[in-house]
Amino acid sequence: MISGLVTQEDVAGDLSLECGVVVVGSGAGGATVAAELAEAGVDVIVLEEGGYHSTESFTAGTGRALRTLYRDGGGGMAIGRPSILYAEGRCVGGSTVVNGGMSWRTPARVLSRWAEQEGLEAIGERDLDPYFAAIESRLSVGLQDPETIGRDSALFLAGAQARGWAVVPNRRNQLHCAGTSNCSSGCPTGAKRSMLVTSVPRALARGARLFADCRVDRITSSGGAVTGVTGHVVRPGGRRGPALAVRARVVVVAGGAVQTPALLARSGLRSASGQLGRNLSVHPNAVVTAFFEQDVTGWQGVHQAFQVREFLDEGLLLTATNLTPPMLAGILPAYGRELGELMADYNRIVTAGPLVSDTGTGRIRPVPGLGPQVFYQLTDYDAGRVARGVELTAEALFEAGARRVLLPFDGAPVVRDPDELRRLLARPVPKRSLQLFSIHLMGTARMSQDPRRGVTGSFGEFHGVPGLIVADASLFPGPIGINPMETVIALAIRNARRLVERRDSYEL
Amino acid sequence: MVCPPEIRAGQRADRVLDEFGLMLGSLPPAARKALGAALVLLDQGARLYPPARGRRLARLGDQVAEGYVRAVLARRDPAAELIRRLKSVITMCYYELPEVQREIGYDPAPYIAAVSRRRLESYGPDIQAGEAAVTAPPELGAPELGAPELGAPERDTP
Repeated sequence: MISGLVTQEDVAGDLSLECGVVVVGSGAGGATVAAELAEAGVDVIVLEEGGYHSTESFTAGTGRALRTLYRDGGGGMAIGRPSILYAEGRCVGGSTVVNGGMSWRTPARVLSRWAEQEGLEAIGERDLDPYFAAIESRLSVGLQDPETIGRDSALFLAGAQARGWAVVPNRRNQLHCAGTSNCSSGCPTGAKRSMLVTSVPRALARGARLFADCRVDRITSSGGAVTGVTGHVVRPGGRRGPALAVRARVVVVAGGAVQTPALLARSGLRSASGQLGRNLSVHPNAVVTAFFEQDVTGWQGVHQAFQVREFLDEGLLLTATNLTPPMLAGILPAYGRELGELMADYNRIVTAGPLVSDTGTGRIRPVPGLGPQVFYQLTDYDAGRVARGVELTAEALFEAGARRVLLPFDGAPVVRDPDELRRLLARPVPKRSLQLFSIHLMGTARMSQDPRRGVTGSFGEFHGVPGLIVADASLFPGPIGINPMETVIALAIRNARRLVERRDSYEL
Repeated sequence: MVCPPEIRAGQRADRVLDEFGLMLGSLPPAARKALGAALVLLDQGARLYPPARGRRLARLGDQVAEGYVRAVLARRDPAAELIRRLKSVITMCYYELPEVQREIGYDPAPYIAAVSRRRLESYGPDIQAGEAAVTAPPELGAPELGAPELGAPERDTP
């Protein structure tokens, strides 16, 4: 029993609660805001749609993790050509429970662009550095202990270095990560300093209350100001449980770039900018599968150890990331006996690929009967960069000794050497044949000082609705080109402290 | 047909179906409906495949069924795209089976146990201190804003 934590098992009847601030979502943004406010003595309630799953419950089972820790079994699909598979966490701790733990400060050029384009206040490098320093200390952000770096990462590093490319070791929020390669199914040692083991217990220790298995249906308001939220308890299997009502003077929405605009829209909250749910960036990713002669056993070592930064100016980040057998089987372009033959070499495989800082944007729209749907059309320019990122990744893998590679394009033949790769990619790759996925969704409630351009202001406040604050990657005015977690947390601390400074105006 | 032939061993096919049912239940409504439709389409679509002579997939022999699935997955239309998604989910379920994972040399539980032990043996005091700091009062926990940075994190831009 954890003090302050309530799960669906503890709830028999309807809930009617009251607090100063209700926070919707317990991921990087929500848990951070809750901890900051609770530490300042604010009465905080956190509502999380997903369940509470302890570190001890995490195993290497991919299917179980997808069903319990991810929204919709990790099977979200952005509709477009090509369609893009996306995944979001849905559990106490949110996506920080299932991400790779990469912790990078927002690039200075990105902050400058945001400040210039949107007129944002206090968002320069010097403004945010103290927050980054605090985060990095609290979440033990640092380099991997060397013994935890696996052979897949070492091979990709060797290939990239042989090409003369700039490579950086990953900075991750980890307290002596054991290198279990189990990041995407929940860290079984608790070494990854997700919100589940940091800001959530910190908030609870300061008196915050956390209700897991509670879905928020609407934000309530009166006279133009928010008054709280309503929702319901989620029973096993997604069944609707007792009703829930929370009266609060401030509502913080941190449900992620899909759910946050969806909740705001179904609550009847409109943005004069017309940007609510729009401006979605997804950082499209693709996977190159390379087969080596020797054993690699990529699952023995940290999930991701290095990043190739050579092509950041082109908006490309290259990494090697191990995939579990179910994940790999799901993306390989083979079936039956052929799939069995490819998977028999599982321990000789390295999976790597590009992340593209996209220039196109998509949107979130409600579809009757189906809920919020993501619509995203990859631009021709971004499709070209995906192909370029795939080519560079494959080049590095060949350089490291790969004997053949499979490319993430429908119908692509097996490629056995760099010349074949160049010949194949000399012709444009049809956009619809790209196999893409995303784990970084952002931008759907973008910040701008100008209410005609942005949904939220410099400090996450929803324009025109006092007491309503957004605290997740929806705030980003555009893609950041790297892993977004630390930026989300930094903005959450900054914006929570701003709220504390102004607590009198909200009677907190 | 989409899984390797070894699916016929023991009760694997039944367990893949169980896993598939669980997986389907956790997918978003749109995907659930689409994959359900893909299943029907794949099964009944075989009737239009000349060598099947009007039979559905479930009634075909191995050779004809394999030829049919190969022909469907080679197509580039939206229906084939849907069936490829279905194939992805089914093969994920197959490779979720522990004995299948062991056959390809993936047995993470003993490895996780070993490296978890190594972690505690190597860094125990540091880990304990780090975990205690999470809920420690502010003055004993993380440095407040404005405190000097620990380490020297590089900004990630050139």
